[in-house]
Amino acid sequence: MKLKLPQGVRVDVVEGARIAVFSLKANRLRTVLTTMGIGIGVATLLAIVGIIQGLNTSFHRQLATFGANTIYVSKFPWIIKGDWWMYRNRKDITLDQVERLRHAAPFLTALSPSVQRVSDVEHGGEQLSTVRIQGVTQEYLAISGYEVTAGRFLTEADDETTRPVAVIGTEVADGLFPGISPLGRTIRVDNRTFQVVGTLSRKGKVLNQSMDLVVFIPFKTFYSSFGKGRRIEIAMAVEDASKLKQAEDQLVGILRRIRSTPPGQPDDFSINKPEAMAQTYEQLTGALYGVAVGVGLITLLVGGIGIMNIMLVSVRERTREIGVRRALGARKRTIVFQFLMEAASVSAVGGLLGTTVGLGTAKVVSLITPLAADVQAGTVAGGVGFAALVGLLFGIWPAARAANLDPVEALRYE
Amino acid sequence: MSDGGNASKLIEVQDITRVFHVGGEEVRALRGVSFGISRGEWVAIIGQSGSGKSTLMNVLGCLDTPSSGRYTLNGKDVSRMSDDELAVIRNEEIGFIFQTFQLLPRETALANVELPLVYRGIPARERKARATAALEKVQLAHRMHHRPNELSGGQRQRVAIARALVAEPSMLLADEPTGNLDSATGEEIVRLFAELHQAGNTLVLVTHEPKLAARCPRAIRLSDGEVVADGPGREVALGIGQSVMAAGGT
Ligand SMILES: Nc1ncnc2c1ncn2[C@@H]1O[C@H](COP(=O)(O)OP(=O)(O)O)[C@@H](O)[C@H]1O
Ligand SMILES: [Mg+2]
Repeated sequence: MKLKLPQGVRVDVVEGARIAVFSLKANRLRTVLTTMGIGIGVATLLAIVGIIQGLNTSFHRQLATFGANTIYVSKFPWIIKGDWWMYRNRKDITLDQVERLRHAAPFLTALSPSVQRVSDVEHGGEQLSTVRIQGVTQEYLAISGYEVTAGRFLTEADDETTRPVAVIGTEVADGLFPGISPLGRTIRVDNRTFQVVGTLSRKGKVLNQSMDLVVFIPFKTFYSSFGKGRRIEIAMAVEDASKLKQAEDQLVGILRRIRSTPPGQPDDFSINKPEAMAQTYEQLTGALYGVAVGVGLITLLVGGIGIMNIMLVSVRERTREIGVRRALGARKRTIVFQFLMEAASVSAVGGLLGTTVGLGTAKVVSLITPLAADVQAGTVAGGVGFAALVGLLFGIWPAARAANLDPVEALRYE
Repeated sequence: MSDGGNASKLIEVQDITRVFHVGGEEVRALRGVSFGISRGEWVAIIGQSGSGKSTLMNVLGCLDTPSSGRYTLNGKDVSRMSDDELAVIRNEEIGFIFQTFQLLPRETALANVELPLVYRGIPARERKARATAALEKVQLAHRMHHRPNELSGGQRQRVAIARALVAEPSMLLADEPTGNLDSATGEEIVRLFAELHQAGNTLVLVTHEPKLAARCPRAIRLSDGEVVADGPGREVALGIGQSVMAAGGT
């Protein structure tokens, strides 16, 4: 005999596996269905954890492009908490306020008003839709984190003389001027013509919105071309991120004074920091994470109890079989092994089914919602493995019960 | 008792008791049982219902351990063995034959017969060959791929006998093996036992049927947990002569 394992262990493993497979093949649909709960629990858990982790990393990467030393003041907060119309009653931010702020806040290293709209942009026969048209001043470049790859950015003179010039993002450049330099050429935005004077570096997507499908024009040109009815946001930068908190405190006082907010009234403007947004975001996903893990664990617990229950039924149904096996020379641990293997493999099959269903659902969710479910082979393997592990864990007690049956009693069981 | 041939005995039971505790009360199923069985013997254990036959059978089969006394099987003291050691003894020394056959319903006859060899760690190929040979011995080779529910009662019991024989144990232990069979089929099984006895196997047969016990060369009668007669099967079974004191002999 060419034994690799000690004989006893070999019997346990080989015979345990054989019986487990036998049980699966026999009429065990019920068992597998019972254990599917575990699979679904595992699958949702893995999928949610995967989604959240994916979101977190990409969000961080995206925020990094915004700059950690920037502050944006606007009428509406970036993340609206409570009723939207509460903010609607706030006074608009005016250009005059922007200028007064510039003088009152020397600690700002850069400041630019910003207005925007979304339009179609054309050149020749090419057309791009839903392009962000943003009116800003020269200092916006330093705040935004773009770099000029060709030509120049907007200047003070452009703004003062309301020149029809534009600096465009890579997607606009690639979309309208494939293979040629856009510098000196013209683009049309709502029947107005702008001359391209510069192109910008690629920034990628933030929250699924392209930062490169953008056209910057001088702030005053924007006003004269598209009217003054747009909401102004003030973009600002401080020297570095450590000055952010202090700057924010000072800004509150200055803005209240400039906007003559009555004492005792809440601020009638919002201070937005990409930095703080990351924290808010992390709190949000952290809570979601906790809920997902909690729900997943409860599902696993319920599924595990289901397995335990079905295994106890299985042990009871096979009491005589256990007696026979013991009479013929099966040791206690051989019986334990038999039922553990059965619990694990039945759970694994349930896990496979559940994971398939769970991930299928996630896939459908990702198709009909903007959530990006990232279905990976590792998730399936993890789901199956984890389900088997839970089966093993919750199979211990029934298996021990089976092994500790008195052989004489077991043989007599009706 | 003066037993010079102690070492040659396959089974040596000395003053065995088995006490059950049921709701604070003691049930003394065996009250000091002693006897020996030599290799190649065919012994019937008879007695009325409740006399302790099955309890004795379980002790002899190492499924149960005596409350006191000494049980030596094939030279080994098994009365104080651990659970795992007893499993090995059951596998190597004992072939069980039950009244209700106790075949695994979902497995084929062949797989049922292979089972003791599985627990002995015999490789699959050899297992199959030996199980087939054992089934041939009971004339059931042609039914080896059938499941128990596709077999008649007599055939099932023959599968069970093949399973008891396959690992070549020191003795066969049968508890009312014909109890669930009609008389013609029962007779077949008894004839099979006679053949196995002729071939040199050691057989211990528990029965409440005097007619069956009478055909065994030796019988031990239990009453109320005690040996009340031990002698030639015919005499003990039919109550002829004074066989109790003959116990020391043989
Ligand atoms: N597990 C048990 N618990 C309590 N009493 C038992 C148990 N097994 C047997 N007995 C008692 O022991 C006595 C002998 O039983 P048993 O050996 O089954 O007799 P037989 O097989 O001769 O009918 C009976 O009184 C029975 O009730
Ligand atoms: Mg009985």
